[in-house]
Amino acid sequence: MATGLKPLYKGAEAHIYIIEVLGEKFIAKYRVSKPYRHPVYDRIFRFQRTKTEGRILVDLYLKNVSVPPPLIVDPANSLIIMKYIAGNKLSEVIDSITEKKLSAIAKRIGEMSAVMHMNRIYHGDLSLGNIIITNTLEPYIIDFGLAGYSSDIEEYAIDIHLLRRSLNALAPEMSESFMDSFWEGYREVAPLLYEKVRERVYEIALRGRYVSERVKKRFEKYVE
Amino acid sequence: MLGEVLIAGFESTSHTFGVGIVSGRGEDVRIIANINDKYVPLKGGIHPREAAQHHVKTAPRILKKAFEKAGISIGDVSGFAVSLGPGLGPCLRVGASLARFLSSYYNKPLIPVNHAVAHVEIGKFLYGFNDPLIIYVSGGNTLIAVQRKKRYRVLGETLDLPLGNLLDTFAREAGLAPPYIVNGKHVVDLCAEKGSNFIPLPYSIKGIDLSFSGLLTAALKLAEKHKGDPDKLGDICLSLRETAFNMLVEVAERALVLTRKKQVLLVGGVAANTYLKEKLSKMAELHNAIYAGTPPEYSGDNGAMIAYTGYLGYIHGLRIDPERAVVRQRWRIDEVDLPWLPD
Repeated sequence: MATGLKPLYKGAEAHIYIIEVLGEKFIAKYRVSKPYRHPVYDRIFRFQRTKTEGRILVDLYLKNVSVPPPLIVDPANSLIIMKYIAGNKLSEVIDSITEKKLSAIAKRIGEMSAVMHMNRIYHGDLSLGNIIITNTLEPYIIDFGLAGYSSDIEEYAIDIHLLRRSLNALAPEMSESFMDSFWEGYREVAPLLYEKVRERVYEIALRGRYVSERVKKRFEKYVE
Repeated sequence: MLGEVLIAGFESTSHTFGVGIVSGRGEDVRIIANINDKYVPLKGGIHPREAAQHHVKTAPRILKKAFEKAGISIGDVSGFAVSLGPGLGPCLRVGASLARFLSSYYNKPLIPVNHAVAHVEIGKFLYGFNDPLIIYVSGGNTLIAVQRKKRYRVLGETLDLPLGNLLDTFAREAGLAPPYIVNGKHVVDLCAEKGSNFIPLPYSIKGIDLSFSGLLTAALKLAEKHKGDPDKLGDICLSLRETAFNMLVEVAERALVLTRKKQVLLVGGVAANTYLKEKLSKMAELHNAIYAGTPPEYSGDNGAMIAYTGYLGYIHGLRIDPERAVVRQRWRIDEVDLPWLPD
């Protein structure tokens, strides 16, 4: 990494730099070493997550999912150079978007998630902090460090569970209508997957600690 | 001058029976007694009925001792607070019965307290935190939360085993426990001191959620394979702890960046663990956040945290009719509306 450059943003596992080449802006995402992490994990994660993220970004870009296309993927140096997407994190602007516009955004995120899942890709950390909203209110999905390929419904359902959890924590009053629009978009793109995934999302929520609904459900089964 | 408010709080959700007393005059709030007694199983884990019997036996002594320490008599209190859940039914009922009786007998209000909320409030109180990222780890809980709109909102949690349960179960199955704590240290930590080689184990995080069951299975399989080799067991303990803590700190870091909090608070029984504290404080430093973890006296289950949270409830008019004060074995931290939290 070039020295003297100041990161634009310090994320949870990477530093983000903006670089300009011939008037065009790019993002350099550099996965940093963590002082709290065991050196073996540090080495594996910085290499593997960079590699996975690069591969998945290419895959999704070619499937017309709004993600920043990568130009250079260098796992050995924990570095990805990708296109710069101007905008703000959804977690930061959600309070300032009107309900109608937010509903359109949620629907589009639902559609993109369905495309991802139909292509056996899960995100692994689909939170409001990992969605960028451009000035024209287009959502972009970023940060595929925990993503992967799987045919397991569970992984797809977890993506949606995480999104809902992040909504409940950061914008509880908008959570329900947001998820309604999300599911609408998801269903339109992947009607067959929709039923299975939605059922599983419900099941996952019941798995949390001290969920009384889980016991009720078990009891109902017993009564039947 | 504001009048003095005295609240006695009862804790009996799991292995500990405790009585705490808090005295408050406006901003000046003090813990004037915190007397606790822990049930230690002779073999295996916590047996709910035996733990409850322990509570019944020790309750009169602990109650007397707490009021002696505080230098007041029972009739002096302004109200009684009780931890109504979440926890083990038989254990919860001991504290609830006692609190209902005292409240009716002395005709003083009864204040319901959620045990998880109490862990958080006592930590905030001790460090003067107003809006921290909360990491709550104990034998029964592993979750990450923030306050928002009058409630604690869960950002992430374990999808299967709590962290304390992971360490205890491993220790028990690998023949290291009981006792689980020796000289203030967990037996997995003691065993890890003999380890030197790190073995990567299943590392499973989903956003800010965690899953420890695969890790436990893998560690136990390894322990079985190398039975009778203390050095290798040391390596396994070291790797198990390292993996579990790395997972927790990583999700905490994700939550911290997402919420941009400037305070990081570690609460719950596992908060006493020095290795976890070290990792979390390093992580907080990276993001210019202040880190604090509740000290051992208040990190494990204790009466003082119930009394303090009861005090908050009392001054905000929170009351429950003794006849309706039933225990709730399942009562999530994010189900409780708390009048003292900001909108």
